[in-house]
Amino acid sequence: MDDDEEQPMSAAESLNLIARQNERTRRELGAGPARLLGVWAFTWLIGWGLVYLADDSHARPLMPGWTAGIVVAVLFVVAIAYSAYHGGRISRGIRGPSRRTGAMYGWSWMISFAALTLINLRVMKAGELDPHTISLLWSGTSLLLTGVLYLAGGMLWQDRLQYGFGAWIVVCGGASVLVGVPGNFLVLSLAGGGGFLVASLVYFVRERRSGPTRVADR
Amino acid sequence: MTEASLPELDPVIHAQARLRVTVALAGLHHGDQITFPRLQQLLDMTAGNLSTHLRKLEDAEYVEITKAYEHRTPVTLVKLTAKGRAAFESYTTALHRLLDATGGN
Repeated sequence: MDDDEEQPMSAAESLNLIARQNERTRRELGAGPARLLGVWAFTWLIGWGLVYLADDSHARPLMPGWTAGIVVAVLFVVAIAYSAYHGGRISRGIRGPSRRTGAMYGWSWMISFAALTLINLRVMKAGELDPHTISLLWSGTSLLLTGVLYLAGGMLWQDRLQYGFGAWIVVCGGASVLVGVPGNFLVLSLAGGGGFLVASLVYFVRERRSGPTRVADR
Repeated sequence: MTEASLPELDPVIHAQARLRVTVALAGLHHGDQITFPRLQQLLDMTAGNLSTHLRKLEDAEYVEITKAYEHRTPVTLVKLTAKGRAAFESYTTALHRLLDATGGN
């Protein structure tokens, strides 16, 4: 009985306490995707932007192509590591369906991108493809797969925004092969990375707005 | 409005610490459980304090506590029961009615 000697709460104080604890719980467990999408926006905008600017079709490429390639690789490794950390942080200490769903979703990315890499490498080896076709193969397939995985995420979590974003990235995949090289890098950077940025900002605004004042009802 | 028409607040939930425990557990998705240490961290409570309040919530059948083993390490898993969720919902409804009745103060 030692710990029931608290001040009696008024209804307003009680609602306040609910709102504050809700905010805290949601911030830690829900960990909205705004920041994660922001990291990916940065990766795509900067990484693919540099590849575009480094393309030798330009009169004065910004840097050698291989340098831009290394920058992209490093940015992707960092973003993937952050994604894994983000997923782990959310599901720490949680057991049950949502943890399982999250883990399966994370592995879906790993498995399908590993297969995509294998298939594309094999196609590159088998066919006599010129560098432009190879470039389109990679940008087209990886945008398609990225988009499809976001479509799946939208279905899993019944999130229209995520679904819409997935559809946009799928469309970008189609556009990237239509515009050719080096326009496909511009599609990756501005349309793809820009899409991530818009999605990140929308989630950010949403998290702000639905923050401390509302009692969540999930 | 007469006193009698004012809703009663569930005494099991209407205490700061237990209210916060309930809110945190209600924030989980349906069917999910949370480990004791993670819940403790979400609430900034001492283990002893949290145990005490969890026991009271368990006595009211508002929470379900499961002991399990993961890789031979014992883990304590906590979740809100359907009864607990319903009680929390009627508690918040009651709060809103109280506020309306007292003119928002």
